[in-house]
Amino acid sequence: MDREGAETYLRLLAEAAMRGSLTPAAGPRAPNASTIMAAGHALTAVGALDPVTAEEILTDFRLATTARQLHHQSGGQGVTAAEWLTQGQAVLRPRQVPARSPGEGAPWEDPDHGRTDYDRADRFVPVGLTVPFRAGAVRGELCLMSFAQTGSGARFIAAWQVHSPLLEVQLSHHYPGLIPFDEFTVTDDRGARYELDLTPGSDLAWPNMIRLSPAPPGTIRWLDVAPPYRQAIRVDLCSSEPAPAGDATRASDTTLSPGEHLLVMLAERLLTGTPEFPRRGLLAAPPTSPRQVVAGGFGVIIAALEAAGVLSPLSPVPARLATLCASLDLTGHGIAAPPTLDLPEPWLSLLAHYQRRKPEPTQMREGYAALAASLPELDGIRVILLGLQHTQGGSALHVLVQGQIPEPRPGPLDIDLNFPLSLWLKDSGGRWHAARPDRCHQAGQESAIRLRLVPPLTRPADRVEVLAGGRSAEVRATLPLRWRYLS
Amino acid sequence: MTDAPNGPWFTSLPPCETLVPCGRGQHSVRWEAGEFRLPSHTDPEAELVLAALGGDKARCVEIAEAWQRHTADLTVLGIGPRSPADEVTVSWDDVDAAGQAARSGASVLGYGAGPLASPPRAAMARAAARYQQHQQEAGEASQRRLDMLSLLALGTGFQVRLAGQVVAAHADRLDEPDELGRTIRSVLTAALAGRVALVAEQWLGIDPDQVEVSLNRGTGWGSVELTGRGEQRRLRVSLPAWWLARVWACGLALTGRHLVVAVERAGWPDARVLALSAPGAEPVSRSAHAVSRPSGAADAPHWEI
Repeated sequence: MDREGAETYLRLLAEAAMRGSLTPAAGPRAPNASTIMAAGHALTAVGALDPVTAEEILTDFRLATTARQLHHQSGGQGVTAAEWLTQGQAVLRPRQVPARSPGEGAPWEDPDHGRTDYDRADRFVPVGLTVPFRAGAVRGELCLMSFAQTGSGARFIAAWQVHSPLLEVQLSHHYPGLIPFDEFTVTDDRGARYELDLTPGSDLAWPNMIRLSPAPPGTIRWLDVAPPYRQAIRVDLCSSEPAPAGDATRASDTTLSPGEHLLVMLAERLLTGTPEFPRRGLLAAPPTSPRQVVAGGFGVIIAALEAAGVLSPLSPVPARLATLCASLDLTGHGIAAPPTLDLPEPWLSLLAHYQRRKPEPTQMREGYAALAASLPELDGIRVILLGLQHTQGGSALHVLVQGQIPEPRPGPLDIDLNFPLSLWLKDSGGRWHAARPDRCHQAGQESAIRLRLVPPLTRPADRVEVLAGGRSAEVRATLPLRWRYLS
Repeated sequence: MTDAPNGPWFTSLPPCETLVPCGRGQHSVRWEAGEFRLPSHTDPEAELVLAALGGDKARCVEIAEAWQRHTADLTVLGIGPRSPADEVTVSWDDVDAAGQAARSGASVLGYGAGPLASPPRAAMARAAARYQQHQQEAGEASQRRLDMLSLLALGTGFQVRLAGQVVAAHADRLDEPDELGRTIRSVLTAALAGRVALVAEQWLGIDPDQVEVSLNRGTGWGSVELTGRGEQRRLRVSLPAWWLARVWACGLALTGRHLVVAVERAGWPDARVLALSAPGAEPVSRSAHAVSRPSGAADAPHWEI
């Protein structure tokens, strides 16, 4: 990796942008602050450039351009000296404090804040049980997909449904506050009692992680979950051996460079960010949309990655990106490589989906499939699949990720570095669905993530093929599914 | 190399002077032979002592301090002018307005939002320490920018000389990071590229975006080659970092339709330079003579061969 090359490239780009800003006739293709940010984000994402340096380059560029606008106030583009003084906001620096995970309280409540105890044996159990409940006028079902216990705590991964005569509940997609968690009782095989709750710091729009408090010992055999005034339902935890990822798991080596890996992530970001079934002619993104910003920066990003020595000029990935942009009507990408027909099968499947331009008839009912399958480690990251859910017309895969999770680096490319893998599901009809992070809670080296499937499932497959790809290897696993439906 | 046989880098630069509002009047400040001087203040050191004891610090003295703080500041190369046509105009009113904004901003920042809950003392102490550190860093950044604004207000002549001084401070240690962790070679490569591209445009009429510039790692003057046609046309220029100080900052870059690639014998108003008439040609030793601009502005040297 050529760190000096990366820094020099970004500084030269800023210099070209500076020159463009001095030339009123500079074309729209001239680099600007957005281009510097996109290239800077790419270089920091692959670790070729320190985010502070990237931000400093951007700030110096802004100071330089605005210093030349101090006396242009009449033209509407001028800045005052006071505004000049405050140029340069943090855009590429890593977040100082990671988001809290389910189970974490405020930092001062926990002397071991941030510590994850990996000495304790992790336990992942598929559950697949529906617990009906009623509390006053509210009734519903709590659907336990799986149970996961790690050093960060114990939780059920759950789906749920609430019925209420209240209009606001009927109109709301999510109303987990109505689930009477405090009236449930949970008891283990030794008589110890636990509480269920949507954890502190949890997100009401993501009510799938239900914490068990306190965390039970790792040796208990079962838990009885009892809703108010109803009989308990027993959750068997005995099948807690490390879960294999289906019968057929195949791992193969891949040799993606860090630059190629990043480009693949960006490509999949584009693929999953495309609106569903736009009217003809509307597939193209508006110039300011995140998709167009990403696509518009591809030429510069590729050049930056090459300058940093993390992307070979012979790499086939840029040509694939050119095809992708052309297929998605994304213009001005600036990729020098000619398009190629050699696209990965999942990309072709998703492109074909978009080209249909109309929704497929769906046979999916709202429901879930229990899972607890661990994939082989990829790039130091272990992914445990904990449930598949279909609700409100969307499908989601729930996973827990452990290991060397990169630091989040917010920026214009909108990439999810805390899930630096490519994950696809192939349904029994042969269609591929990209799994894109939707919600994430990170604690140290563990993240609970809800992955949105694009496109959603349209038929209740009895098995899916999972394709997970990292930089150094990819894994294919076939998982049997047993769907359970909400009433 | 600063004191090479042909003299320090600034030997081909004339003195430069401007007026600065100071106290109730205007004082002259002067750059000469690599030194920033205050002719209107006979004993600046004594004034600094008085200021430390609570007296007012004269603006001239503040500017001299700012100059000293930034003679090795690579940010100067990013913000300062790229060419004679690239004028960065800052007035002393701008400096005053920015100073007032910085002071009022500091007072606003002094009152942060209260804590959300009732954290224990240790957490509060940590938060207070972080806040204090943030305040200190913000204050330092604000001071650096105020400094920069004052230095820009001195005018183009001073801006170019400060750039030369910054280059001279770093040109012999390209592979080291500066005190802020910046890679000196990267910063100087960009600084060279930004300036050479505009000189090349004037020299050959080439699109500046078609000029590729690198820092010459060898011992000679470097190379200048033109390749390709149309959109593939490229001017590849490799020059040493010292070119920025000894040639560009001294106003010698384009002299008599020649690209000056090195100074053989520095001097004012006569110097001997190595000049290229065209890309790919061998540089030829030429005599250069400085002439006054029609405006008579001696701080903006104009040379002829």
